[in-house]
Amino acid sequence: MAKIGVMSFAHMHALSYAACLNELPEAELRAVWDDDAARGQEQAAAFGTTFVADLDAFLALDLDGVIIASENVKHREMVERAAAAGKWILCEKPLAPTVEDCRAMVAACQTAGVGLGTAFPCRYIPSVMAVKDELDKGVYGEIYAASCTNNGQFPGGWFARQALSGGGATMDHTVHVADLLRWMLNREFTRVYCENGRLLRPGIDVDDVGSLHMEMEGGVIVSHIASWNRAASFPTWGDVTLELIGEKGVVSVDAFNQKLHVYDDAGMRAAWDYWGGNPDLGLVRGFVAAVDARREPDITGVDGMKAVEVTVAAYASAKSHHMVAIG
Amino acid sequence: MNLGVIGCNTMGLMHCQMAENAGLKVVACGDISRDNARKAARKFGAEAVGDCVALCNRDDVDVVAVCTPTPTHTEYIQAAAGAGKHVFCEKPLGRTLETIDEALAAVERAGVKLYVGHVVRFFQEFEAMKARIDAGKIGNVGFVKTYRGGIFPGGKLGWFSDWNMSGGVTLDTIVHDMDWLRYVFGDPERIFAQNLKRVFSERIDYALVTMRMKCGTICNIVGTWAHPSGFRVKVDICGERGMVTFDSSEAPVSAQLRLGAGSGPSTIVPASPVLVSPYQLEWEDFAGWLAGTRKPRVTPEDGRWAVRMALAALESAETGQPVEFN
Ligand SMILES: NC(=O)c1ccc[n+]([C@@H]2O[C@H](COP(=O)([O-])OP(=O)(O)OC[C@H]3O[C@@H](n4cnc5c(N)ncnc54)[C@H](O)[C@@H]3O)[C@@H](O)[C@H]2O)c1
Repeated sequence: MAKIGVMSFAHMHALSYAACLNELPEAELRAVWDDDAARGQEQAAAFGTTFVADLDAFLALDLDGVIIASENVKHREMVERAAAAGKWILCEKPLAPTVEDCRAMVAACQTAGVGLGTAFPCRYIPSVMAVKDELDKGVYGEIYAASCTNNGQFPGGWFARQALSGGGATMDHTVHVADLLRWMLNREFTRVYCENGRLLRPGIDVDDVGSLHMEMEGGVIVSHIASWNRAASFPTWGDVTLELIGEKGVVSVDAFNQKLHVYDDAGMRAAWDYWGGNPDLGLVRGFVAAVDARREPDITGVDGMKAVEVTVAAYASAKSHHMVAIG
Repeated sequence: MNLGVIGCNTMGLMHCQMAENAGLKVVACGDISRDNARKAARKFGAEAVGDCVALCNRDDVDVVAVCTPTPTHTEYIQAAAGAGKHVFCEKPLGRTLETIDEALAAVERAGVKLYVGHVVRFFQEFEAMKARIDAGKIGNVGFVKTYRGGIFPGGKLGWFSDWNMSGGVTLDTIVHDMDWLRYVFGDPERIFAQNLKRVFSERIDYALVTMRMKCGTICNIVGTWAHPSGFRVKVDICGERGMVTFDSSEAPVSAQLRLGAGSGPSTIVPASPVLVSPYQLEWEDFAGWLAGTRKPRVTPEDGRWAVRMALAALESAETGQPVEFN
C-alpha cells in the first residue's frame, strides 16, 4: 500500500487526484499539506484525511510519495523539498514556468534518488490511447502534419496572475498537446512560432490566446491553439483535439467527445457531460505503481521539461515575431 | 445584360445558371475544350466559341465571366477590359500580384467593372456569423479559427495538382477564409504559415496558417486537401462575451443510397439546402452594381488583397518566418 500525500490544492486537479487516491485500493491518501491552511483543512476533511500545517512535519511523515498541485511558480521549491525528504513525486503540469527551474527539479530528484513524474493525464484518455496504439502499428503510415487544440474556459484566480502562473493560456495549455505529440509520434520538437496575447479578458496580466506553429524532427508540421477562449456559457470546460495527417490516412481525435447533451431547466443551460474513462485514474495508478516499485514514473520530469521547452520558446517567439529553435 | 462565359466546366456551368437566375442572358460559351464549350452552349441556348479572346470582342457580349484555371484569369480580364466589357472573375483573382496589377490597370483604363467571386461572403452561415459579430453580441472578438477542405480537388490529371497553376490549398481554398476574415476584421498585420507542398506527394496538401490582424485578433486557418474523402467547413469565433461556432458536418440532410448488392459501401452525402444559392446572391450583387443600384460587396482591391494574403502565406511556408504586411 503506497502512502501518498497531497501538497497544495491550489490547482483544481488536486481534487481529482485526491479522489483517485481514495478510489485506488493500492493507495492511501495519508495526509494533506497546503500553504493555504484553510483550504488544506477543508480538503483534508472532505477526503477523510489529516491536514498538516507545517511542511517539515508533513515531509517527516511516513509517506512514500507526494502529489504536488500548487501554483506553477511554487513547483520548484516544493519538488526540491519533497525530493530532499526522499519522497517520490508527481508534479502538476506545467512542470515549472522556466526551463532552468525544470532542470533544477530533475537534477534534485536525481541527486535524491527519487522518481519525478509530470501530471500529463491526457496520455490516459481512452481515445488517445486507442489512436496511439494504431500509430504504433503503422495504421496511418508516416505522420506529416498535425492540427491541434487545447481550448478551455477562463480559469481565473492565480492562473491569470503572472507572478504565480509564470504565463497565461500559452503556459497552461501548450504542454498537454506537446507531450501527446512527442509521445504519439516519437519525435522531439525543433522550432516554434507563436502569436499570442490578452485578447478576451481585458482585466488580466497574462495572455489568454496562443496560436503556435511547431516543427518536429523529420519535418512534421504542427499547428496548436493554447487558449482560454471558451465562453463561460460553453457546454463544457474545453477540449483536447488532434488531427493527424498521415501517409495512409488521416485521423482526428476529439478526446472528450464521449458526452451526453444535458438540458437542465434548473440552471437554464445546456451542458455536455463526459461519460468516458477518467484519465486521472490512469495517471495516479501509474504513479502509485512507480512508487511501489521505486522506479521512475512512466511520464517523467524530463517529459515535463521537454514540454516546457516548447512553451518557453513560444513566448520568446511571440515577443520577437520570429520562429525560434527549441531547447 | 448579355453574358459570355470563359471556362465552361464545374464553376462555369454553375455561373451560367446563377447569372441567368440574376437576370443576365448567357449568349456565348468559350472554352479551349470544344466539348465543354458546346455542352454549355447547348444547355443555355448560347453559341459555342473556341477563341475566348474573340468571345470578349463580340458585340452581343456585355459582361464576361472568367471561370478558367487560376493562372489564366488575368489574361482574360485584360482581354475583356480591353474590349470594354465588365468582368466577373472567379477567385483567386490571379496567380501572381504582377499579373493582377496589370489586369487591374487594364480595368481602370477601360473604366469597366470587375467583380471577384469571393462567394463565402454570401454564404448564409457566414452572413449570420458576421451579423452577430457586427451587432456586438459576443463583444470584441479576440480569436477565430477556420477549417476548410477535404478531398484533393479535380481528377488525377487535373490542373489543381499542378502547384504552379492552383497554388495548392492555400491559394485555392483557404483564400476564401482569408478574404472573409479581412472582410470582417480588417487588414492583417502579419502572417505565418506551414504546408506540406513540395515535401510530400503532389496530391496531398495541408496548410496551417496564423494571421494576426491589425486590430489584434488572432486568426488560425487550417486548409486540407489531405483527406481521402469529404469536404468540411468549421468556424470558431471567440469574443469577450461569448462564442459562435459553425460546423458543416451538422447538416440538416444526410442521405445514403443503397447500391446494388456486392458493390460495396455507398457514400454519405450531407446537404444543407438554402432558398437562394450564395452564387446567385453574388451575381445579384454584381448585377446591382452594374445597374448602378448598389455598391459591390467585393471590390477588385479585395480580390487583390486575398491573393496577397495567400501568397504571403506561401512565402512564409517557404522561408519558415512570418511575413509582415505594410
Ligand atoms: N468560388 C468557388 O467556390 C470555387 C470553387 C471551385 C473552383 N473555383 C475557381 O474557379 C476556377 C475554375 O475552377 P473549376 O473547378 O471550374 O475548374 P475546371 O477544371 O472544372 O474547369 C475549367 C475549365 O476551363 C477550361 N480551360 C482551361 N484552360 C483554359 C484556357 N486557357 N482558356 C479557356 N478555357 C480554359 C477547361 O477546359 C475547363 O472546361 C478556378 O480559378 C478555381 O479556383 C471557385
